[in-house]
Amino acid sequence: MKLDAKEPAGPLEQKWDRYLKDLKLVSPNNKRKHHVIVVGTGLAGASAAATLAELGYHISAFCIQDSARRAHSIAAQGGINAAKNYPGDGDSVWRLFYDTIKGGDYRSRESNVYRLAQNSNNIIDQCVAQGVPFAREYGGYLANRSFGGAQVSRTFYARGQTGQQLLLGAYSALSRQVSAGNIDMYARREMLDLVVVDGKARGIITRNLVTGELERYAADAVLLCTGGYGNVYFLSTNAKNSNVTAAWRCYKRGAFFANGCFTQIHPTCIPVHGDYQSKLTLMSESLRNDGRVWVPKNPEDSRPPQQIPEEDRDYYLERKYPSFGNLVPRDVASRNAKYVTDEGRGVGATGLSVYLDFRDSIKRLGRDVISQRYGNLFEMYERITDDNPYQVPMRIYPAVHYTMGGTWVDYNLMTTVPGLFCLGEANFSDHGANRLGASALMQGLSDGYFVIPYTMGQYIAGESFQAVDTEHDAFKEAENASRERLSKLLSINGNKTVLQFHKELGQFMWDYVGMSRNSEGLKKAISGISALKESFWNDVRVPGSNDTLNKSLEFAGRVADFLELGEVMARDALEREESCGGHFREEYQTPEGEALRNDDDFAYVAAWEHQESGPAVLHKEKLAFENVKLTQRSYK
Amino acid sequence: MSTQVREKQPLWRQLFTSQIGKKLLTGLTGLGLTLFVIVHMAGNLSYFAGNEAYNAYAHKLLSLGPLLYIAELGLLAFFVFHIVLGVNIYLGKRKAREQGYKRYKTAGGQSKQSLSSRSMIVTGVILGVFLVLHLVSFKFGAYYEAAESIDGKPVRDLARLLNEKFQSPLYAFGYSGVMVLLALHLRHGIWSAFQSLGATNPRLTPLIYTLGALVGLLIAVGFFILPLWIFFTGGNA
Amino acid sequence: MTIYLNVWRQEGPDKPGRFETYTVPDVSPDMSFLEMFDVLNEQLTLEGKEPVEFDHDCREGICGSCNMVINGQAHGPNARTATCQLHMRSFKDGDTLFVEPWRASAFPVIKDLVVDRDAFDRIMEAGGYVSVNTGNAPDANSIPIDKVAADSAMDYAACIGCGACVAACPNASASLFVGAKLAHLSLLPQGQPERNRRVVNMVHQMKEEGFGDCSNHAECEAVCPKGISIAGIAAMRRDYVKAMLAAD
Ligand SMILES: Cc1cc2nc3c(=O)[nH]c(=O)nc-3n(C[C@H](O)[C@H](O)[C@H](O)COP(=O)(O)OP(=O)(O)OC[C@H]3O[C@@H](n4cnc5c(N)ncnc54)[C@H](O)[C@@H]3O)c2cc1C
Ligand code: HEM
Ligand code: FES
Repeated sequence: MKLDAKEPAGPLEQKWDRYLKDLKLVSPNNKRKHHVIVVGTGLAGASAAATLAELGYHISAFCIQDSARRAHSIAAQGGINAAKNYPGDGDSVWRLFYDTIKGGDYRSRESNVYRLAQNSNNIIDQCVAQGVPFAREYGGYLANRSFGGAQVSRTFYARGQTGQQLLLGAYSALSRQVSAGNIDMYARREMLDLVVVDGKARGIITRNLVTGELERYAADAVLLCTGGYGNVYFLSTNAKNSNVTAAWRCYKRGAFFANGCFTQIHPTCIPVHGDYQSKLTLMSESLRNDGRVWVPKNPEDSRPPQQIPEEDRDYYLERKYPSFGNLVPRDVASRNAKYVTDEGRGVGATGLSVYLDFRDSIKRLGRDVISQRYGNLFEMYERITDDNPYQVPMRIYPAVHYTMGGTWVDYNLMTTVPGLFCLGEANFSDHGANRLGASALMQGLSDGYFVIPYTMGQYIAGESFQAVDTEHDAFKEAENASRERLSKLLSINGNKTVLQFHKELGQFMWDYVGMSRNSEGLKKAISGISALKESFWNDVRVPGSNDTLNKSLEFAGRVADFLELGEVMARDALEREESCGGHFREEYQTPEGEALRNDDDFAYVAAWEHQESGPAVLHKEKLAFENVKLTQRSYK
Repeated sequence: MSTQVREKQPLWRQLFTSQIGKKLLTGLTGLGLTLFVIVHMAGNLSYFAGNEAYNAYAHKLLSLGPLLYIAELGLLAFFVFHIVLGVNIYLGKRKAREQGYKRYKTAGGQSKQSLSSRSMIVTGVILGVFLVLHLVSFKFGAYYEAAESIDGKPVRDLARLLNEKFQSPLYAFGYSGVMVLLALHLRHGIWSAFQSLGATNPRLTPLIYTLGALVGLLIAVGFFILPLWIFFTGGNA
Repeated sequence: MTIYLNVWRQEGPDKPGRFETYTVPDVSPDMSFLEMFDVLNEQLTLEGKEPVEFDHDCREGICGSCNMVINGQAHGPNARTATCQLHMRSFKDGDTLFVEPWRASAFPVIKDLVVDRDAFDRIMEAGGYVSVNTGNAPDANSIPIDKVAADSAMDYAACIGCGACVAACPNASASLFVGAKLAHLSLLPQGQPERNRRVVNMVHQMKEEGFGDCSNHAECEAVCPKGISIAGIAAMRRDYVKAMLAAD
């Protein structure tokens, strides 16, 4: 099968507008007859469900949490980008597009990213109209800040709770449609399988997480908005319920999974403090605007940080990257933290952290200014670590944060299964090999508010739909498969808990498919994970039963899928014999230790196709760059 | 797409059954009753100007005639509404948490939960019962005729009744005790009423909260000073 | 340190519940409260017993999933701290803790410490939104908004919908939750067109869900992990009265 991205013809700037002009429309009366399933109510899912319902489609929306409002998007702190150029510092759609393509290390599709930049401005308008209380200046106009290495101020924010406010905005739009009767909201449901009829996605199987019942839902299209798979590393900044299960079951039904190895390790997280640790907490990257990253020059230096004089400190980011300094992109900052800790210069009890020091900015700007900018982050840090960052430098370390890879989609956000679309972090589309700060929220909302309403309409208008009801054999088959899997999990009754397996998997992933990778390690990971999977299915212990709320059973199913995903990720990383963005292969680096891309051989999207028996098969979507020149990223 | 439009409820229903309307009325009646007790207290204090002054004050009130009946009727209505709503709120809250906590502790800090706020129903009910007893012992109590007369009309010697009743420790201390409960009711009640009316904001609230306690306390002191005075000194000659 | 737990166990909504006693040894002061429960659940699973069910997701105090009443206090002893952000260093070696679910008739127990908070969603559906379809919005800077009002709106919008206000309220009232949403939208120009209808519908839905009346104990503000002020409740009352008296 040849992957067809279905990019519209024409110059970059006109592709989306032309697409909209030529769009096939669904008449209002017909929309009502079309039933659409939206799985996930994060930024992508909630915005899509609300907008499609406004247009007149009949929507069923699903989420794992007890309320749509609790999706993982709620946790995003820093902000959302848009090319408004309100500060007048030279921003434009083109520049946002360019920064995003470059930031992604030239592994994303030009057309998708350009559309994203175009939509960015509409998002801000829409959110303000919903009542999202973005930060403002005294004049009453919206405030911007620069974020994540951008050289313009284009990030809109709502204190340190931008994701929360954007999600509550989308959730309010969703609630309005629920009350209007256009959306049936199913909370505490987990999608366990995709139902494919005549080659098209026509429904899903869910488990009611309260009663354990398996339920069937039929529709004309299915939207997968289920978020990222960072929890494959066990420890990550993702919420505990974030998972790959829905995407993985779709993969097994024919949806290709792309660029799995492109994961983002965020440089500023609170370090691990014990083996009972259940998740990692992100400290907003905005801290790097005023905090200076350093370690002692001497590995043996065990003095408390305040007593280490200037000349014995190594501000390694400022030293190595004079023009970007502490604001280098995430992948660069993370990798350098790894280097210095590998050299034995890490700090803290575990030696696995570096300092982020506000001493100088407190001196320069005063404690009040710093507290205004970061007060809530400092508080959060102190609550977790019991250290006061006004007095001692913060200790930070990289942690898994975001997954650029995901289900492969074309320009229409449609997967390789017709009628199955994928939005938000769950798809692979816009961030290439590295995502810039404040661009995931933008992508989720662009997909949901401004892309899918058109592209899905195009699909619906172009197809003729035979009625399918939930008594169809495909539904029975899928439901039985899910039921068997659940009873299998409950029947093993082995000696190890789900959590133990998850931690072991996480260790493999972090050690070998983490911040830097090599062929030997990746091979070790592949065989290790495969053995772990074997052991899981023989020795896992899942307590309780299927006919009640049973979180152990939920997590067991998700870890089982992570075990399969981990293997595919390692293979993807092994196959990609270059370094780019978050994917750093030790064999491929410049003399200075920077990522060395190989554009001739690897400027493609790696999309994996599941095989019933035997290993997954790789398909390549060549990336053509007609508008930007591929350069080596340099932040020196 | 239109949002769901609900049927607009009639005003009286919103007032008496909505959670906001109910509190609005409790607050208004509560403040009304507070005003009443302040006036009542001021009247009581005229006792200290002598038996005649006190009797004259009572006489003046009685001579208002129909006006007094209207005022009394209004007062009765305030009491009835206040009591019915107070009890209704209490019963509602019991229903809203059928299974209670094994342990329960206030978070302190910004909380205004106190003995006063938690015992509104108890202090309220006692005040209600007291009210009836109070009316029986005084308003509808023994009728003495005073030696003096005003405008040729006979005057009731209420001062004598007070002097007699408050010789009894039961009356003197019972009455004073209930006044302490009134203070307790008002400690939360007064600020709460302002909050119920929406007449607060973060800057005003601390002020109202403190003043509320003070006014409650002054009212109670103003009331119980009289029986205690009579009990310990034998009262005005 | 060693912690002795009395945890509410209840198999289902209509089943009777009871306290079970557990001992968790080797608790580290750096553990979060939920991590201690993870350790307990591992212990129970390996002993062949059923783990304690509890809701959690973000574990950083923003999703509003976690909900434990610890020794009688919703989210435990620390101000402005959700259960998931509470660390064991707030307790002492040998402490005995009672852990209960939110208790309110409008929040029925589903299992153990997991409760059903759908009532909050239904209140939001009754009017907690601005009716603007996607694509209808004017430029974001076309209406300047006083920074003070915007900041204050943000204070109210910070609500995470955890329900601690209800859990801690002696009356099980949801006034702070409802007041916060109303105050957020009322402070912004975007919230004006539907202001009257919104307050009436949300307030009535709150009652239909079976929450108690508010007696102004202000306990909600004290337990709120985001410290939302009861000034929002006063604002809700003003708006309701205005709406009640409005002609249309
Ligand atoms: C701590 C943190 C801070 C961040 N800060 C920023 C930032 O400042 N700026 C920025 O741009 N990005 C940020 N990000 C990234 C961004 O938040 C996410 O990428 C984005 O919110 C993902 O949105 P989503 O809608 O795709 O998925 P999610 O919000 O993850 O939603 C997934 C939804 O799918 C549901 N779901 C999942 N699986 C199933 C299933 N099997 N069945 C049914 N439902 C299912 C879930 O219940 C949920 O409703 C941050 C991320 C983290 C972790
Ligand atoms: C002298 C008599 C009384 C005075 C001055 C008085 C005053 C007040 C005031 C000011 C309030 C606050 C109202 C609010 O929060 O909105 C209040 C509340 C209350 N009162 Fe009274 N009251 C009196 C008698 C009674 C009686 C007889 C009852 C009988 C049951 C009662 C029961 C209550 C209750 C239960 C509340 C709390 C309502 C709530 O929970 O919100 N009160 N009172
Ligand atoms: S788990 Fe999200 S707020 Fe506690």
